[in-house]
Amino acid sequence: MTYEEFADSRLTALLRYAVMLTGDPHQAQDLVQETMVRVQLNWRRVARADSPDRYVRRTLTNQYIDWRRGSWMRRVLLRAEPAETVVVPVDHAQAAADRDQVWSWLARLPRRQRATLVLRYYEDLPDAEIAEILGCAVGTVRASISRALATLRAELVEA
Amino acid sequence: MIEDDLRSAFVRHERLAPPVGPLRAAIDRTAQRRRRRRSRLRVAGAALAMLLAGLVGIPVAVADRDRVPANLLLDRATPAAPAGPLNLLLLGLDGGSGDPDLRADSVLLVHLPADRSGVYLIALPRDLTVPVPGRGEQKLNSAFTAGMGRGADRSGGWELTRQAVTDLTGVRIGAGAALTYSALRKLTDELDGVPLCLPRQVRSMHTGRTFPAGCQHLDGAAALDLLRQRRGLPEGAQDRDRHAQLFAAALLRRAGERDLFSEPVGLSTLLRTLGDHLTLAGGATGLELLVTEAARLTDDIPVVAVDLPTRVTGPGQRFEMRLDATLAEPLLAALRTDRLAEWARTHPDRVTVQR
Repeated sequence: MTYEEFADSRLTALLRYAVMLTGDPHQAQDLVQETMVRVQLNWRRVARADSPDRYVRRTLTNQYIDWRRGSWMRRVLLRAEPAETVVVPVDHAQAAADRDQVWSWLARLPRRQRATLVLRYYEDLPDAEIAEILGCAVGTVRASISRALATLRAELVEA
Repeated sequence: MIEDDLRSAFVRHERLAPPVGPLRAAIDRTAQRRRRRRSRLRVAGAALAMLLAGLVGIPVAVADRDRVPANLLLDRATPAAPAGPLNLLLLGLDGGSGDPDLRADSVLLVHLPADRSGVYLIALPRDLTVPVPGRGEQKLNSAFTAGMGRGADRSGGWELTRQAVTDLTGVRIGAGAALTYSALRKLTDELDGVPLCLPRQVRSMHTGRTFPAGCQHLDGAAALDLLRQRRGLPEGAQDRDRHAQLFAAALLRRAGERDLFSEPVGLSTLLRTLGDHLTLAGGATGLELLVTEAARLTDDIPVVAVDLPTRVTGPGQRFEMRLDATLAEPLLAALRTDRLAEWARTHPDRVTVQR
């Protein structure tokens, strides 16, 4: 598979996945852009992976989780090379979406917990695959899902 | 059900996803820009990788940092044929630039056989007691401090260390470098990090970070953190030297993957970036030698790391680490006569890293 073919078939899905993780189209775009630049520069290695798709998804997820902790933000923002910005059209759908309660509660979860929810309830991946993407044990995945759900349920009761 | 609410919330927000067309173009432009920038750094990376090989950071002072010889940059197509084996001495310094109290924490001898069929990394424990010229018996790392003198002259520190290592091993050392840990971090980041496989878990005393056993990808800061760890490791400084060897081998492999050893541009830029953190011994000649040799290293050349046999004086006495003459002599003889490949084959138990 070439990089072009990969981008043709997977970019839309990756972007949606990033939207679910970040909850924000601009951040999703930055996240996907930084990930895909690296993927393109290292395509040979990515293509050698058993599943390039899973490899890229793992890279993107880790980047999201590590976000404020430094690494990629620092690399991207502090290098003398400003990130390209793409204008995102704002439409009424977003305004409506912002009123969505469950969606706004998601923003309060720790990133790792949010990632597990997205992987299970949006990507519909089995726990073993989620564990592989996050680099942790299956038990940890289950624990973090149940903790995240408990938080959301508590919000639901209060609301 | 909260699960169902979640599913439908996700699906409802799919429409937030922006169009991919402009994003794809931005990805291509950014990648292109980074590729150009990277090729500018290639040579620099090559020379550094060589240094790193030691992992070792040594800061060496280049007298004419801004005036890299023009022939070095232009005439790389036909590098002079290597005459015989080459030994390089790389020193990893702990402490920042301008710190008068720099210590050589890693001392790495890099041996390139005459046929350039491999790279041999021999770590010399910094606590090894050796005769230091003019100073009597001292720990090896004190040679750097003593050689630097009050003027914090790193070239002097490298030179005295070179003499002590030559006296100990009997091999001539052609060139070398000293780098601080900061140089190492910058270099690692230029390579976008390196993959490293650890035999067992390591927990950082400095940051609390845990490096699990097995393979992982380390960025500059993480690599630095790992390489500083000594206390809490089962064999202390010796384990640290092994980490350095592992790192050096991984770095060389990484540099090979990235085609670092080509494109004779930008060396002076890189050297400026590293600034005081890198000192190259031997001035322009030493630099030329390092760059030429680094350019020859390809991905398929094996990198072999070897433990120098030592023994530690028993309980009740003052702690002292000395060369184990019986075990070390065959190794040193092989090193002097350029037959390390043969030695490594017959002593697999003393080879710690190989690729």
